[in-house]
Amino acid sequence: MPASRELSIRGTPIHMLQEGRGPALLFLHGAGGAGRWLPFQERLAKTFSVYFPSHPGHGGSPAAEWIEHISDLAFHYLDVLDELGVERAHLVGASFGGWIAAEVATMASHRLASLVLIDPVGIRVDGWIYPFLFGMDIPEIVTTVFHNPMAALALAPPDQSIETLALQYRQGAALARVAWNPHLYDPLLRRRLGRIAAPTLLCWGAHDKVAPLAPCGETWAREIPGARLRVFADSGHVPHLEEPDAAADAVSEFCRLRGGAG
Amino acid sequence: MKFYYFHLMPYIMDHDAPSSWVTLSNRHYDPGLGHTLYNQYLDQFEHAERLGWDGLCVNEHHQNCYGTMPSPNVVAAMLVRRTTKAKIAILGNGLPLRDNPLRVAEEIAMLDVVSGGRVISGFVRGISAEYFSTAVNPTHSRERFYEAAELILRAWTEEGPFPFDGRFYRYPYVNPWPRPLQKPHPPVWCPSQGSTETVEWAAKRHFPYLMVFTPIKRIAQIYGEYREACEGYGYKASRYQLTVNVPVVVAESDAKARELAQKHVMWVFNVGLRMHPPFWRPPGYMTEASLRRLLANPPTLPSELTFEQAERDGYLIYGSPATVRDKLRIFADELEAGILCTAMNGGSHERTLELMQLFAEEVMPHFREDAHVDETAGVGR
Repeated sequence: MPASRELSIRGTPIHMLQEGRGPALLFLHGAGGAGRWLPFQERLAKTFSVYFPSHPGHGGSPAAEWIEHISDLAFHYLDVLDELGVERAHLVGASFGGWIAAEVATMASHRLASLVLIDPVGIRVDGWIYPFLFGMDIPEIVTTVFHNPMAALALAPPDQSIETLALQYRQGAALARVAWNPHLYDPLLRRRLGRIAAPTLLCWGAHDKVAPLAPCGETWAREIPGARLRVFADSGHVPHLEEPDAAADAVSEFCRLRGGAG
Repeated sequence: MKFYYFHLMPYIMDHDAPSSWVTLSNRHYDPGLGHTLYNQYLDQFEHAERLGWDGLCVNEHHQNCYGTMPSPNVVAAMLVRRTTKAKIAILGNGLPLRDNPLRVAEEIAMLDVVSGGRVISGFVRGISAEYFSTAVNPTHSRERFYEAAELILRAWTEEGPFPFDGRFYRYPYVNPWPRPLQKPHPPVWCPSQGSTETVEWAAKRHFPYLMVFTPIKRIAQIYGEYREACEGYGYKASRYQLTVNVPVVVAESDAKARELAQKHVMWVFNVGLRMHPPFWRPPGYMTEASLRRLLANPPTLPSELTFEQAERDGYLIYGSPATVRDKLRIFADELEAGILCTAMNGGSHERTLELMQLFAEEVMPHFREDAHVDETAGVGR
């Protein structure tokens, strides 16, 4: 079981899970993934010191009214690294977390031993409009996000209590603050991807319907200098939930070869 | 009591789609039929003034068959030149939905000047679904509403030009021509669903509060909270600050009225307000406190409302003129609502005109103790 920590980052309280010994690895979760310590994280913690914070307004982290743009979250995570005393980390982000991670990398690649983006959103892609997730009910979201809907059970809410529904609403609002319009991207990010100097691995589900491999994954692979692209044949938008062992092994293998995190 | 004719201008149709809002394809809209409907509805408005209605209400909704008035100011513009006495109540302009709310200040001022000062200006946030149709971020809704309202009120009352520098709206020169005719500005109304924050905001500014399609117990509760808030600000609410929009169906007999109500009023709830669930609850549109209040006591979805419940909970009024008079007494005497907004729908244009006449002749005269009072004097500003 990971340790549960409460931190204050420049006055913003957050909740974080932490486990493992080894080079520092900071994991940034996607929408609905806050606080879900699953086989993907468990496997990474065998090799790395895994830090898994919940974004403000998600999971156990209270909403932060000051966050109004995706770059606010990126600066927040640079502050998190400072607070943890981690000079260089492997940065792994999935979906919405991948967007934040990419923003961080455009700002401060020198803080990253490596960058792993798992089906990130965040850039405007020619020929693709992200489906409007806020207009979907749960069954629509599950069939859009997952290639294997059974994998969605790992994120199922424990109950339909007022507390649970209020948490879901708070998480939706925290996401909407930065991702309603433009929906799931920052118009400035794509042209800045060329600044990313950290070794980068792109993990992509072959059946992603939120941000399909073609054209989204291919665009990312073109824009980030030297990025490698690894495709997961049995996954949709969330390979770390749909093929957790293979995804964790791919991340481990890539990051182990790129040391210097601590 | 004052009577306002409140038209939704619906595009009445049956369909099996999961939502009458946002995603109901506009291929269902027949502009030829629309031509007939718009003109009949405008005729009904003009007829209402001739029959003695005190005000005519228009409103803003987007991308649906429930109400085809995406621009209430356009409809108001058609009415100001075809009427001479009735107030023209725009209930309201969805302020946060505008990227340039100064345009609202300009258009309302135009209408006010042309109409000779008959305009009432409703300020609304727009219902949840509008945030999907306009793509405005619902987490900004409340703040944009307050900021746009402040901008418009200042634009109407302060000599221009002056700069305005808000979080969402910024202008180096605020100086709209024309200025409104009514002083200090046209009355402002707040149509709302009863959120604590809006009740406070309206009460503080003496802005009348309008409850739309709400069960009668909740109207009583929110009126109580509003009156209390007014007292907190050191004054007693006038009855003309308490306004209600309730569907009324009057016919020659209770049975005939019941039949019309079951068909036409229930269409509004069951079909017109049928909404894909996510469209009811865009993230951040409500405060978390308001959400928790809602979840603790979840209201019936309009699409699931039965006629029996609608009748029992007082969502509507129907009956012969005598029955309707008795039911309206509850609103006039117990709730002490000063203004009743309602539309009539008889199923056809001709029948609707007949019902309007029946209401005007057999019901309205019994509530006219205040015939000499100008309901907009001293309220809404």
